[in-house]
Amino acid sequence: MRPVPSAPIVGPFADRLLALDLPHLDPARRRDTVEFVTRRVDSLPSVMHLGVLVIATVFRLVVATPLADRFVRLMSHLALPLLGEYVRLVRSLGYAYIWESWPDTQANGASTPEHIR
Amino acid sequence: MSGLTASMPRLDAEVLIIGSGAGGATTAALLAEAGIDVLIVEEGPWVDQGSVTPFSLEQMDQQYRAGGVTVALGLPSIAYTEGRCAGGGTEVNSGLYFRPPVDVIERWSAQHRIRDLDPDALSVIAAEIEQALTVSTVPGRTTPASEILRDGAAALGWQHNEIPRWMAYPPGGDAVTGKRQSMTRTFLPRAFAAGARMIVDCRVDRLHMAGGTGRSAAVTFADGSTGVITFRDVIVCGGAIQSPALLQRSGIHGYIGRTLAVHPTVKLSARFRDEVNVPDDVPVHQVKEFAPDLSFGGSASHPGLVALALTDHWKAFSKSVVQWRQIAIYYAAITSEGRGWVRAIPGLRDPLVTYRLSHRDRQLLRSGLARLTLLMLEADAEEVYPSFRGAPIVRNRADIASMQQAFAVSKASVMTVHLCSSVPMGELPGRSGADSFGRVHGTSNVFVNDASLLPTAPGVNPQATVMAIAIRNARHFISSRSTTDTRSTTDTRNIKGHHER
Repeated sequence: MRPVPSAPIVGPFADRLLALDLPHLDPARRRDTVEFVTRRVDSLPSVMHLGVLVIATVFRLVVATPLADRFVRLMSHLALPLLGEYVRLVRSLGYAYIWESWPDTQANGASTPEHIR
Repeated sequence: MSGLTASMPRLDAEVLIIGSGAGGATTAALLAEAGIDVLIVEEGPWVDQGSVTPFSLEQMDQQYRAGGVTVALGLPSIAYTEGRCAGGGTEVNSGLYFRPPVDVIERWSAQHRIRDLDPDALSVIAAEIEQALTVSTVPGRTTPASEILRDGAAALGWQHNEIPRWMAYPPGGDAVTGKRQSMTRTFLPRAFAAGARMIVDCRVDRLHMAGGTGRSAAVTFADGSTGVITFRDVIVCGGAIQSPALLQRSGIHGYIGRTLAVHPTVKLSARFRDEVNVPDDVPVHQVKEFAPDLSFGGSASHPGLVALALTDHWKAFSKSVVQWRQIAIYYAAITSEGRGWVRAIPGLRDPLVTYRLSHRDRQLLRSGLARLTLLMLEADAEEVYPSFRGAPIVRNRADIASMQQAFAVSKASVMTVHLCSSVPMGELPGRSGADSFGRVHGTSNVFVNDASLLPTAPGVNPQATVMAIAIRNARHFISSRSTTDTRSTTDTRNIKGHHER
């Protein structure tokens, strides 16, 4: 069993990143997606899990400050070594889940209305 | 499934087989049919074919290790996947079949001093496999995404083929009606019919060794309880990552886990005017004009996977995501000269995996992506979205040059599904982890019989090669054992006779 569940560490950043990337994504869908992302992080192989949690802890601390939005916006655009890989991981897992679960989601996260599907 | 056995704290078997994929299932069937008492232990669950959507996240949850999120660290890191279920990778892979390449087998035999590795003998075994797995081409039309590869290659005059698959098609069936003839449908039922037993959801933590002899396996069941399985011989078939990791955890080191080989791939998504996406199947055509160095094929293109592929430059690519029905994903795969390591780390459950691409590998990936892009344009793609960070959208031939300029392997989403060579077989001192038939050097009864044994990546889908070599080694094991048993019986009689005299 994993000693450290990732939800409280990874969840807040994942939520902010998805809210920034996909502003029209329904909040309930975003919650589902964040839950999926944290579940996947929990099942990562040992070394990767450890590395992700170390980086995620740094992100979590910053996300708890008033600079959170600016930080997430900056990180979502910068391709920094390691730190950028964490953003990429969260985004990849999140997007894969969103478009597999709700394939007609638009690029801004909005649901495509039934009549134009 | 009748062969499944309940978990118990103490179990015993003549031969313990760890892993139930292409190597483990074939080995189990042959040994059980030879009258040997076989127990198969599988870390993952038993999942009936067809009960989950192929290539979906649900399948990744149930049948892949770590939900499909596994990475070999490096610059760049290479994402890889491993099956973790009854039947292993055969349950989840593309099902594309290639006979063991004769030139590769000859090279392995000569360069790695593998005794009696005869391409003709392997071809005979391959024919048996083809029959057992009903290897065949699609009876009707192939999917639109597959025909794009065919048409693009034909327009360029490049060699291309429809690759047969281990699928059974119903009469009048087509590309999407085939049933995968994976191990849970073929060799595992054969093993059960011959008396083999199997435990699923059971991880082997380590082998207990006494000198060079394996005595028992320490296991953990899904509910967290533990147990011990004693055996006479053990055959490790956990795949190219888990097999060397288990040997290392058991204190067996030697030349193990130092020469991991893979077929790295780079990808692109291409959007066409018409709907081409078939979410739960993969294209059956491949382009072999530049093989074995470079091959092109198609990937699963579930909408989630399309979105994932577009994240490399989401700002530029995102508007196309709503058109996923017109998008399919393709890859350029290379035969890599690079090598990787698998290292078990004390205190950690999973091994550390690393991989280093060579300079030539990087050049090949670059040229492969450019050529694949050209092929897509020739097949009338309206837009091509290469999978690397900051990639431009390619709409015509002139854009390919700017794409090549922007490309760096370090920015690409490199991945692989073919892993091998981490316990290479052969008789070369210091360059092989197991002997010519899979017995781990320095041990008397610990064998490996999976993709780990292949001395290098074969340049084609390795499943048939893995199965052919596993069957060859299993037959050698059975014949050696008969000889040993006959000798033991004779020895016993002799001892008995000596005492009686």
